[in-house]
Amino acid sequence: MNTGDNLNELDDASFRATVRDWIEKNYPPEIRNPPKRLHFAENKSWYMALSKKGWLAPGWPREHGGMGLSATKQLIMIEEFERHGCARLNDHGMTMLGPLLIRYGTDAQKARFLPKILSGDHIWCQGYSEPGAGSDLAGLSTEAVLDGEHWVVNGQKAWTTMASDANWMFMLVRTDKTVKKQEGISFLLVPMDVPGVTVRPILNLERHDDFCEAFFDNVRVPRENLVGVVNQGWTMAKTLLGFERIFLGSPRQAAYALSRLEVLAEHMGLADDAVFRDRHAQFALDLADHNALFASFVARLKRGQELGADVSLLKISQSELFRRIADYMLEIAGENAGLLEPIEGNRDLNPAGLFLQARPSTIYGGSSEIQRNIIAKNVLDLPG
Amino acid sequence: MRIESGQTAADAERMETIRMLRDSAIAFLGADLGRVRRLRFQDTGFDRATWREMCGLGWLGVRIPEAQGGLGFGMQEYVALATELGAALVPEPLILVGLSARCLPDDELLNVLSGERIILPAWQEVANALADAPAHTTFDGRKLIGEKRFVMNARGVDAYLVTTSSGLALVEATTQGVSLSTEKTQDGGHFGTLRFDGAVAKAIPVAPFDEAVADATLASAAYLFGLSERAFRLTIDYLKIRRQFGKPIGAFQALQHRAVDLYLELALTRASVESAATTIDAKASIAQQQAAVSRAKARASRCGALVCREAIQMHGAIGYTDEADIGLFLRKAMTLINHFGSERAHRARYVALMKVA
Ligand SMILES: Cc1cc2nc3c(=O)[nH]c(=O)nc-3n(C[C@H](O)[C@H](O)[C@H](O)COP(=O)(O)OP(=O)(O)OC[C@H]3O[C@@H](n4cnc5c(N)ncnc54)[C@H](O)[C@@H]3O)c2cc1C
Repeated sequence: MNTGDNLNELDDASFRATVRDWIEKNYPPEIRNPPKRLHFAENKSWYMALSKKGWLAPGWPREHGGMGLSATKQLIMIEEFERHGCARLNDHGMTMLGPLLIRYGTDAQKARFLPKILSGDHIWCQGYSEPGAGSDLAGLSTEAVLDGEHWVVNGQKAWTTMASDANWMFMLVRTDKTVKKQEGISFLLVPMDVPGVTVRPILNLERHDDFCEAFFDNVRVPRENLVGVVNQGWTMAKTLLGFERIFLGSPRQAAYALSRLEVLAEHMGLADDAVFRDRHAQFALDLADHNALFASFVARLKRGQELGADVSLLKISQSELFRRIADYMLEIAGENAGLLEPIEGNRDLNPAGLFLQARPSTIYGGSSEIQRNIIAKNVLDLPG
Repeated sequence: MRIESGQTAADAERMETIRMLRDSAIAFLGADLGRVRRLRFQDTGFDRATWREMCGLGWLGVRIPEAQGGLGFGMQEYVALATELGAALVPEPLILVGLSARCLPDDELLNVLSGERIILPAWQEVANALADAPAHTTFDGRKLIGEKRFVMNARGVDAYLVTTSSGLALVEATTQGVSLSTEKTQDGGHFGTLRFDGAVAKAIPVAPFDEAVADATLASAAYLFGLSERAFRLTIDYLKIRRQFGKPIGAFQALQHRAVDLYLELALTRASVESAATTIDAKASIAQQQAAVSRAKARASRCGALVCREAIQMHGAIGYTDEADIGLFLRKAMTLINHFGSERAHRARYVALMKVA
């Protein structure tokens, strides 16, 4: 694998130029600005191009095959990907499981799983939520019972993004029913292509099968696939939620929406309208300030500092900005707001699609309400 | 019938008519959304048999004088009916065809009111334009040349009533020189783009087009109100049954306050729509009527978008599935908020009209 030159040594401007140039030469044109989230079969060419280049994991340390990039440079990469309209990948391995294994995994687990993420052999999905355990995640009831050298898993996961593409799931399971609900949860790595696993895709509001239900019926999982300590999965998973919030707090979606708002305004003849200009300026400033906030969190991570509960701020700020921009697109799109497909077949002009995509951003990864509860309780120390 | 204090017998009688109209609509439409769901993304997007039944109930002729075969009701009655149509997400184009019906001469009207013939109005030429914007489609008394866009339910109707730079023209859908292309809409229907390339059409000489547009715009605001109110009720029900952290999520004050904010928005919308209907019934000046309609449509568009967005958020992931009914409301709102004019467009028109009113 080519881990690339140490791009951290470039100044920011030349780094940006290098990234932009490489994307322009290597991004598969047929999947630019996809109107819907792509399945692995559709985005694989891009996944593999990044894999070969060694650019799949900008934030991982170089020793594990990542790019070890500084916060600012990670941001620049995100901006350039969004600017070009690059498709989102099946990225649970890179953004969530990888950082968790690097921190909590055994050497054997790291050696076994990290390279497979980077090579595209293992596509991961996240099995946390259940029909009865959404915001109240610790209330989950899928259980794993030890039987000799195997965990036997029974239960149901819900809303599992891209589970139909994945061959592995990292999941939270109940391993002790007798203790306080947070204290009986473990973190398990489960193969999906084994007997007893059934995945049913669910059509979402975009009429696309992004997420799934997954059923586990006496699924046998080798004992060594448990990460960390038995019954202490909750604390670890919370750290992982921290990584997720960093990822979901990256300006990716809001930046994309803002650039599409500009294209839409042009199309609607509003680009020079004073009211539009003012709203646009507000969004642009919100995004710039969000970028600065995001960079400060990433810098804390790089210095090896713990992220506190206030990482939730990032997720709220990003997802709600994304949503506000998308709401505004609907307001100015005229009748086009009701179209099922992009305007005139132009993927850059898809206000209804973006509006729908923005809906779940304040629901998944911990809803806006839950993030606010966390900050009120754990950061502001409010009673209740 | 009971007469409340301060109410005249005529007022009380009118309230009674409105109540009966509403009750019969509720009884006919029912609560089940299965029919609405099944018609989505199908050929015409609505059902002709149901259309005839609705016409049989007189719904198309609510605002047509009795002498011409209509019910001869006022705007308050029409708004009450349209609210129920919205609550049931009715896909049949009653408000649109009701607009053309107001403009048709007697000899064209009868088989439209009976439901045999469907004539759709086609006024719009660019996105985000109001119905009273000047038309560029030309008509020399015989031939039509031009293009109309965003014609809702355009497929499967019999004729179009087209606005032109020289009045209204009626053109059959199958006439040579008429071509139609369609785009699917979020609610499962479609928008048509109609091209007229010298199609032979018939002139419709004097027609109260502006009044008919005002009625239809306000009816569309009422439809949005009905839709929003039902989406709100579904959400309140959900807040009571969905449990997390050992309680119904409706027990969390963060959600309670937001639910109340929606309730307030709905109250404002109802007041706005009903007062606009009263303004029309009181035969205020045209500028006053139009200003009231614009105020109501701006409010209803905002309310529809707000309530449906919040409804999805409060449902959590299940609200993001196609199989949950709440999504049907969001999708209908997406297709209607800017149809008959967006919040922005109506706000601007309101301000302009208030200067002259
Ligand atoms: C597109 C999408 C993709 C997803 N992908 C995945 C995935 O890959 N893996 C996975 O495990 N999960 C996934 N999820 C599930 C997601 O994590 C849950 O939807 C989320 O945790 C919320 O749970 P819920 O949907 O059950 O909503 P509920 O918990 O039922 O919440 C309903 C509403 O009540 C509010 N609420 C709940 N509790 C409180 C409270 N205490 N105070 C105030 N308000 C409250 C919520 O904020 C929400 O508005 C996905 C969800 C979506 C929409």
